[in-house]
Amino acid sequence: MIAHIVCAITLVVLYILQTAVFSWTTLISGTADLILLFFAAWSLQEGVHNSWLWAAIAGVFVSIISAMPFYAPLIAYLGVVGISKLLQRRIWRTPIIAMFIVTILGTFFQQIVYVLTLQISGAPISWGQSFDAVVLPSVLLNLIFALPIYAIANDLAGRISPLEVET
Amino acid sequence: MKFLNSRNIQTIVIVLVVSGLLFLALSGYLTPVFNLTLNPLISLQSWLSVRYLSARDFLTTPRDVTLLREQNAILESQVTQLQSQLIVLEERLGEAQVCFALLDFGRTNPQYDYIAATVIGREISPFLQYIIIDKGTEQGVRYGMPVVTQQGLVGHVDAVIARAARIKLISDSTSVVNVRLQSAEIEAQLNGSLTGDVFLDMIPLDAMVEPGDVILTSGLGGNFPPNIFVGQVLSTQLRENALFQTASVQPIVDFEGINAVLVIQNFEAVDTSPLIPEP
Repeated sequence: MIAHIVCAITLVVLYILQTAVFSWTTLISGTADLILLFFAAWSLQEGVHNSWLWAAIAGVFVSIISAMPFYAPLIAYLGVVGISKLLQRRIWRTPIIAMFIVTILGTFFQQIVYVLTLQISGAPISWGQSFDAVVLPSVLLNLIFALPIYAIANDLAGRISPLEVET
Repeated sequence: MKFLNSRNIQTIVIVLVVSGLLFLALSGYLTPVFNLTLNPLISLQSWLSVRYLSARDFLTTPRDVTLLREQNAILESQVTQLQSQLIVLEERLGEAQVCFALLDFGRTNPQYDYIAATVIGREISPFLQYIIIDKGTEQGVRYGMPVVTQQGLVGHVDAVIARAARIKLISDSTSVVNVRLQSAEIEAQLNGSLTGDVFLDMIPLDAMVEPGDVILTSGLGGNFPPNIFVGQVLSTQLRENALFQTASVQPIVDFEGINAVLVIQNFEAVDTSPLIPEP
């Protein structure tokens, strides 16, 4: 129960930070995605079992508020959790490296989903320009913020786990 | 002869000598002598005085430093208070300037009713150019309403809830605005792009478009009111075998620094989609 409350509060705070601050901080046209980074970091934590559920909730929540097609953020966040869970089983001894790999792969996956969905909905977006102006700068910005978000997620998971055991 | 005794003679000699010296001194004859005798005395006095004052300062300085430190601390705290007051006042001045500018725009365009709103966020996806404002249906904001600033056109309301609305900027890649070039008196389309740059399309090949030409909304299509300032032409491009010219545009609104907008309340966008035949 505590894990769900923490996830809900953290996601609301991150969403507010994202729209109010980080979406204005652009590198060329790319921006960091704190929610994606949180799911990447949260899914890598041992003893965390609610990441699929909250990725789906966040995906729906962001889809409602965002101008993106409804299913795009949902697919993106679920995909990031999937990549994270796959890597967690393989690189479980070095979580920091796993975090960086999930950040790179997850960001590429998310942006490809976004470009595809926007192209399907009729937006005149080219792959070349998308990679140059948005995808690569976003990967770089996400890598910069990956460590702080991982530290926060790790700390939260560390504080929640003993409480969950006690209760 | 008692008058000429030795005592009186001595007094008379002294008086005469003193009178002579006074006469000589007043007439300036003794100046070299005075200089010769007084200058060493003055030098000595100066030397002594400087040492005394230095010694006095040295002995009394600790008290002064303590006093000065206290005064400095008081002044520093006052400076800090004044600086914080200055920051608050500058913030208020900035807000007031934005409000005055918006009010000025409202005065120059009195035919419209406006809802002033603050920008509270930006679209989460970097592929889209949208902003979020703090006014919604409760304040009278409706879908499709044009949004402007004191400078010019911003976009239109794309989605709205009770206390917030999402604005699609004219720099979005899917945005199309019908515009006219004021000097050339021709009409064209203003399109956004992925990077937020805007450009003109559908300019006739024979049209003379110069950098600096002013771009205004034409009102065609019914999405935006006419004659709202959009930007200026930066440069034109003419590709071989192209049917139309294109032009880069410098939008008048700085979309990165936008913090307050006006929603035009009494303009109803016309939905022309039923009139367009389906393929």
